[in-house]
Amino acid sequence: MKDKPDSSAPTKDLLQGTLDLLILKTLALEPMHGWGVAQRIQQLSNDVLQVGQGSLYPALHRLEYRGWIQSEWASSENNRRAKFYSLTAAGREQLLEERAQWDRMAAAIGLVLGEAAS
Amino acid sequence: MSLRERLSRIRFFFRRPGVSELNEELQFHVEHAIEANLAAGMTHGEARRHALVEFGGVEQAREETYRQRPGWFLETLLQDARYAVRGFRRNPAFTVTVIVTLALGIGASTAVFSVVDRILFRALPYAHNDRLVSVGLVAPIIPEEFMLGGSYYQWRDNQKPFEAFTSETGANDCDLTEHNPAHLSCASVEQNFLPTLGIVPLLGRNFMPEEDRPRGPKAALISYGLWLSHFGLDPGIVNRLIHIDGVQVRVIGVLPKDFEMPALEPADILVPEALDEAAERREAPDTVMYAFARLKPGVTMEQAQAELDPVFNYSLNQAPPQFRKEVHLRVRSIRDRQMHEVRLAAWVLLGAVLAVLLIACANVTSLLMARAAQGERELALRSVLGASRWRLVRQRLTEVLLLSMAGVAAGLALAEILLRVFVAIAPAGIPLLDRARLDLRIVLFTVIASLVCGACIGILPALQGPRAVALAARTTNSGAHAFTRRCMVVGQIAVSMVLLTGAALLMRSFSSIERQNMGMETRGVLAAHIALPTYRYTTAQQQMDFFLSAEAALRRLPGVSAVGMSNWLPPAETHETQPFNNIAVSGKQRSMNGTGGMVSWRLVTPDYFKVLNIPILRGQGFTEAERVSNDQNMVVSSFLAARLFGEADPIGQHVQPVPNGPWYTVVGVAANVKNGGLSGADKPEFYRLRRNLVDDWTPWNIMVLKTSLAPAAVAPWVRAQIAQIDPTLPIEVETLSESVSKLADRPRFEMALLGFFAISGLLMAVIGLYGVISFMTTQRTKEIGVRMALGADRIDILRWIAREGFRLILLGGAIGLCAALALTQFMRSLLFHIGPRDPATFLGVALLLGLVALAATLIPARRAMRVDPAVALRAE
Repeated sequence: MKDKPDSSAPTKDLLQGTLDLLILKTLALEPMHGWGVAQRIQQLSNDVLQVGQGSLYPALHRLEYRGWIQSEWASSENNRRAKFYSLTAAGREQLLEERAQWDRMAAAIGLVLGEAAS
Repeated sequence: MSLRERLSRIRFFFRRPGVSELNEELQFHVEHAIEANLAAGMTHGEARRHALVEFGGVEQAREETYRQRPGWFLETLLQDARYAVRGFRRNPAFTVTVIVTLALGIGASTAVFSVVDRILFRALPYAHNDRLVSVGLVAPIIPEEFMLGGSYYQWRDNQKPFEAFTSETGANDCDLTEHNPAHLSCASVEQNFLPTLGIVPLLGRNFMPEEDRPRGPKAALISYGLWLSHFGLDPGIVNRLIHIDGVQVRVIGVLPKDFEMPALEPADILVPEALDEAAERREAPDTVMYAFARLKPGVTMEQAQAELDPVFNYSLNQAPPQFRKEVHLRVRSIRDRQMHEVRLAAWVLLGAVLAVLLIACANVTSLLMARAAQGERELALRSVLGASRWRLVRQRLTEVLLLSMAGVAAGLALAEILLRVFVAIAPAGIPLLDRARLDLRIVLFTVIASLVCGACIGILPALQGPRAVALAARTTNSGAHAFTRRCMVVGQIAVSMVLLTGAALLMRSFSSIERQNMGMETRGVLAAHIALPTYRYTTAQQQMDFFLSAEAALRRLPGVSAVGMSNWLPPAETHETQPFNNIAVSGKQRSMNGTGGMVSWRLVTPDYFKVLNIPILRGQGFTEAERVSNDQNMVVSSFLAARLFGEADPIGQHVQPVPNGPWYTVVGVAANVKNGGLSGADKPEFYRLRRNLVDDWTPWNIMVLKTSLAPAAVAPWVRAQIAQIDPTLPIEVETLSESVSKLADRPRFEMALLGFFAISGLLMAVIGLYGVISFMTTQRTKEIGVRMALGADRIDILRWIAREGFRLILLGGAIGLCAALALTQFMRSLLFHIGPRDPATFLGVALLLGLVALAATLIPARRAMRVDPAVALRAE
């Protein structure tokens, strides 16, 4: 059943936005296939962030439809055909913007938490 | 969303990555996961299992990814639409019924609303619309409120409640006598008429005060219609000289497109009244005027009426003392002045069409509910298989909206057709009907209303969500719906009972109009209406000469046995009238007690009675010899004879119709002829002879011919004969039956419309009843089977099902009967020779409704009776 309760929508949106940022950041380094993206995020986050495929591929496709990333089929490291994603110029801009947004948000949250602590 | 983003989405909308690509991508991912797991030291099977668990449902990921595609929404919409259409095709009876019901409801109400909107609701085309009133005296002599010259100026100068006061003296025939001549209607208005109403000419200017004086410069404003038809919208028309009735007149402006006279007289040209104010004030006022005024802000019509008392008393004192009791003051809105006659009919029509709409809505709701109940199981199944609530609601919504749109489209087409039919069959008397158009606002309203209603009806069951019981229970259980539907059927029957009663009353009333005795022969009689243009026939001598030679010419026609003349023809109520108590009988005191009601009179030639076959009961009537004598003779109707002379012999009595006028000798008593219109009360009547003396002639005359040939064949000969005397004279020839039938147009129109609505209402109510009963029967097939298995015979089953139907019919019928008894009261003035509670009509309608409804119940009940218990029990 994919009938999700409506109350989860805001959380989901937040996560989705974050996932987009992570994907864009990961792809900014080099073109990668979906598996690679998931692995890279997991590695970089010291296994904290495990990206479920159920949300990875919808996110990849969504970003592609928006024109932030593009894809092409190429052979992978072990000579298998794989779909490689890479950042477009628009995606690069988007990454900067989302990065800035995230920083602002993180700073703001940090401020609030810092104040609450003192 | 940025432009670039949008473009990208559009690109992907058209370039669709295949499903296989996505599958391959996902497959690649899973394989990598397995490899990773193998590397971590798992067995092959374990690695695979782990990978898939981690993945969390390939199918779901695929679905979710797919949903990201631009156009996914549209795609599913199309899918829903296709699904819905498939459903409709499987169940054409349902689909057609819903669409036809919607179309009928929407079509009829849109068309009727377009017609009555102007009569009942829409603002009049005047800037000061809400403060304009019609003011005047009401007396038996003239049906609408009026003013007389002297009084008018007194009122205008001394009134307090109005900020502007103006008058018009009505519209008259006039001729545009130019290279392109036309027969037109000219209305005479006071100089301040347009500013008072708040009308600004489209071109040019309003009249100047000096143009509204006798012998002032001749000026005219022309209507937009005339400007278009005659002058090709030439802006150079202003200041051009045109010839009206042979006189040079300067066009000073063009009226706005939507201009209309407050009393709706036809007006192609406006000219100043040019009354001699001093003379009108001084002399016995005899110019009839119609006054209109603009209330000061904040003054109500009641206050205005009270404040007018002083000037009203002035006018009252001018009236002959014996008539004063019958003279009243009237202040009312212009709309009331225009529409007083058709208002009731318009409300009845609107009520009827709303009733039809109500029945249609109930029907559609009921049908959709039945469908929802049937579809509940499927809904539940799909829900279990993983369809989200939103998806199911959308599916339902698509279905309903498709139906609504089809219904609206069909309805609008029907509305356009109906409107054309209305205009075609409507009598001339309904104001502005010819201008009725399908109103865009109404269309929009209908479309939105039906879509919203459809959506509400449609998604309610889906929103509730399919109940688990729908899957479990073997027979669909829909108790709540069934109750609502039954209530609606009761309502439908009640409403159609009211409609049918109204229609039946109008029908009976119409047939008594048709069947009544006119007192004259209408078959084989031709009437030629001739109005001589006074600018060419300036003297009464010329007018008399024309008519006498026309009479001689028509008498020579083959097949014409008699030719008579009169200034007016019965049974129309337009003719000369005068107060009864003005008539003096020699040797008796003139009554001073009020007017005594009105008396009709006509100027006729001797053959008038012969042509119309009006029997002369006593005496001999007029003779040809009297036409050339100087004797003043009179024929009275038997009604008038009885009132004037009682039992005494009228023949030879001397009568003076007007004080100080000539005395007449009564030479005959004619049988009564209807003279108050088809449904109005008859008035007493007398006839004066049109002698061959100039005093007896007017430019307006109707020549009547009795012919043994087909009237249609004689009509062209009549035209030809008249044309020989004066080739440019406009002449209207019609049979008397035609003109009588025209008088019946109004009741016929009302009857036809209400009848149409009643029949459609009944039809829909019956469909509703049939639907409920047959649905119930289907639902209970199993129960029927059980009952039969337990020993009930077929008649028991029939009785059981039919009882359900009877209950609904009886309840609905009873409610409807009460409502009809209460509502038909309002139709009283539309009915002729029949009471609004005519028992025969009510009985007949109840019987008809009962029978039809019974049939609608028995058909499904019979089907239930034939159920084979073995099949029924096995079915589930």
